[in-house]
Amino acid sequence: MSSNPQHDYLERVKAEIRAEADCARERDRVPRAEALAPAQARACDDGIDRECLDYAIGELTDAHYSAFLDLAFRALLKRPPDDVGSETQVRLLAAGASKAEILGNLRWSPEGRRIGTRVRGLLPRYALAKLARVPLLGYFVDWGIALAGLPILLRHQRAADTSVAARFAAATDAQREHDRRLEEFRIGLAALGVEHDRHFEAIGDDIRRALLRLDSLEQRAQALEGRTTTLEQVSATSARELIDQRHHVLTANHWVVSLQRNLAELEDAANAQRARTDQLTATIKEPAAESASRSARHAGWAGELATRLPAASAVLDLGSGDGAWLDALSARGVAARGVETNSVLVARAQARGAQIALGDPLGALTRCADASLGGLVVAAHTLAASDTDIAELLAHAQRALKPEGYLLLRLEQGATRLVGTSSAMLDAAHWAAILRGAGFDAVSELVATSGTALLARRP
Amino acid sequence: MRIAMLVPGLAPHDAVSNDALGMTVALRSLGHEVALFAPHARGIDEPVHAPATLDAWLRSTTDVVIYHYCSSWDFPLALFRRARARRVVRYHNITPPEFFAGWSAGYVDECARARAQLDAFATLDCELYLGDSPFNVADFTARGVGADRCAVLAPFHQVAQLAALAPDSSRIPDAVPLLLMVGRLAPNKGHLDLVDALAACIASDDEGAHLLIIGKLDPNLASYGEALRAHIQERSLQSRVTLLHDADGAELRAAYERADALVMLSQHEGFCVPLIEAMALGTPVIALASSAIPWTLGDAGLLWEAADPHLIAASVARLRRDEELRRMLRERGLKRYADAFAPAPLARQLGQLMGRISTA
Repeated sequence: MSSNPQHDYLERVKAEIRAEADCARERDRVPRAEALAPAQARACDDGIDRECLDYAIGELTDAHYSAFLDLAFRALLKRPPDDVGSETQVRLLAAGASKAEILGNLRWSPEGRRIGTRVRGLLPRYALAKLARVPLLGYFVDWGIALAGLPILLRHQRAADTSVAARFAAATDAQREHDRRLEEFRIGLAALGVEHDRHFEAIGDDIRRALLRLDSLEQRAQALEGRTTTLEQVSATSARELIDQRHHVLTANHWVVSLQRNLAELEDAANAQRARTDQLTATIKEPAAESASRSARHAGWAGELATRLPAASAVLDLGSGDGAWLDALSARGVAARGVETNSVLVARAQARGAQIALGDPLGALTRCADASLGGLVVAAHTLAASDTDIAELLAHAQRALKPEGYLLLRLEQGATRLVGTSSAMLDAAHWAAILRGAGFDAVSELVATSGTALLARRP
Repeated sequence: MRIAMLVPGLAPHDAVSNDALGMTVALRSLGHEVALFAPHARGIDEPVHAPATLDAWLRSTTDVVIYHYCSSWDFPLALFRRARARRVVRYHNITPPEFFAGWSAGYVDECARARAQLDAFATLDCELYLGDSPFNVADFTARGVGADRCAVLAPFHQVAQLAALAPDSSRIPDAVPLLLMVGRLAPNKGHLDLVDALAACIASDDEGAHLLIIGKLDPNLASYGEALRAHIQERSLQSRVTLLHDADGAELRAAYERADALVMLSQHEGFCVPLIEAMALGTPVIALASSAIPWTLGDAGLLWEAADPHLIAASVARLRRDEELRRMLRERGLKRYADAFAPAPLARQLGQLMGRISTA
């Protein structure tokens, strides 16, 4: 067993793609964990760490003023400061309250108690701050705290003096650097001014040249305008002529459309008439006796023709009617193709499985290639049709038949015809003479009940 | 041989016109005398005669009339009933009217009338029924026409001229991956499925995916255009879909060059010329295995039995990362085009068919 490696590769790729698609479909069905991640990320984006409920007091007192309040609200109440709460605490700070007191106010507010954040070192400081608010006693408490903290305050003061001196020296250096840059900028600005003036003059020269060019263009535009006016006059004359011509064309077009409509109506009427004729013709019932006679007659003729044709000969039957003759040929093993003008009979015969086409019999014969037919059968009503050119038909029969091929004329009244065929058209002797005159030989008569067939050979 | 080429209309950038003109050129190079007949023509650099003069033009029973059957037209039917010349029905297929139900009553009527003529042509026992694809020929064999009277010949086209153009990418989106669809906006073409496939691409790993639709919108199908836009809006893909109704050849050339894949989810095609354009220009193809598409594409693309968005998205993703697959599909496409659809093999097949008609 052999296999194409490239085919196998493509099939393997397709199987893998199918598997990937199945996975993607499954992912669509299950809520995606990563889809939740952004929502959680958004919750932390507001700067509130809701998981943290334990702080050292130093973490909350480094910031100052509004930054301090913002941090305190977010740490202790787990929300940003609201306008009223923030304003109250700012007032306290402005009135000299300590940060410990502000933190304590928030921590032990009803909202802060519900959250219960722990701040290490806050409770004693908050208690002292509250004690300092007690009348009279608070005054002594403040004094005590101040005296106790005096050495620390002195150390802070000395450190602050040093820091201020260092920052002042840095600020002086920065001021000098700033002055130097300012001077450089002034020099650069003066140079730019000179350059700007030079460019300004050059632009002025360009504008003067452009104005001169504009004057020249205006003169040319005026000249063109004069020529355009002339052209417009010519164009207007042409347009009037064009309108006249358009009128003539529309008139002719209207006439052609009317003609086409009339032709179409005539064609429709002719088609309808033809359909009615076909329908009526197809309703004619052949008497049982004649039908039996016709079947016997056809069987005999088909047998005679079959014995003369080589095997697998192509046979064309012109004017097949209801296809009974084709059936007779088929029963003798002759594969014949028929052509009939009656669409109702053709549809019926096709439904029975007969090889029959709707069309003009002579047209079908003329489309046959040279020497392509073993046998050709022509019905009497086809010969009698008003638009059949007998000479042309026989000439095409000579051309399309192979040498030694046979032509069979069925001289019988059609089973399903509105108008019978004249006796002159069924005269076998008359047709035999015509066939000999047209170049056929071995003309023989096959006489049967109610009909005669003429069999002729193409030399 | 004198050959009359009868077409319902001739216009540039039209598949049936390209076929008729291509056949004309090929038949003339084989030494035949060919004349074009059409009720209206524009932009054609070729004399076109009125159909009413065709009867007079035919002189011999060995003359041939080739009718390009793609719409309802009574004239050819009447002509074929009375003509004594040899008759060829060049069948380009008619979209079944069901596809247009609910979109355009006019299209439903026209397609129903055009398809009804299939029975009439089948009864005429013409010398040759010539389909663009085996799918087209099946419409006649199913109506009792013998296989000996039928043949397949892919349509002549303008792919070589397209390949020779300098690409103009000024209006082509610079997105990766870029999914391309070429074909008029019509309900059978699967545009709504394409939008779903694009959404699936974006939902998977191809977040930059973009869909470029190149095709004209018939005003009679405006409701379909609106439905497509609404579908794009529902999916919030307005910025990911580009519709070009007026692309010229240079832009089409650039689109094939830039696209990661031609995605063809059409449910009914008599042949599908964009497939061979993509094959000839080396663009990989992902397609729905409907109507004539499997025959036209052969093994030169990824064919799927259903327009499943996840399947299409996975195919696009695989094509992007699998260079070996891209190379293989490109080579197969170029080979299939050169072997079956290039002008030379088409002209050779047409010559053989004409020989067959002359001895019929």
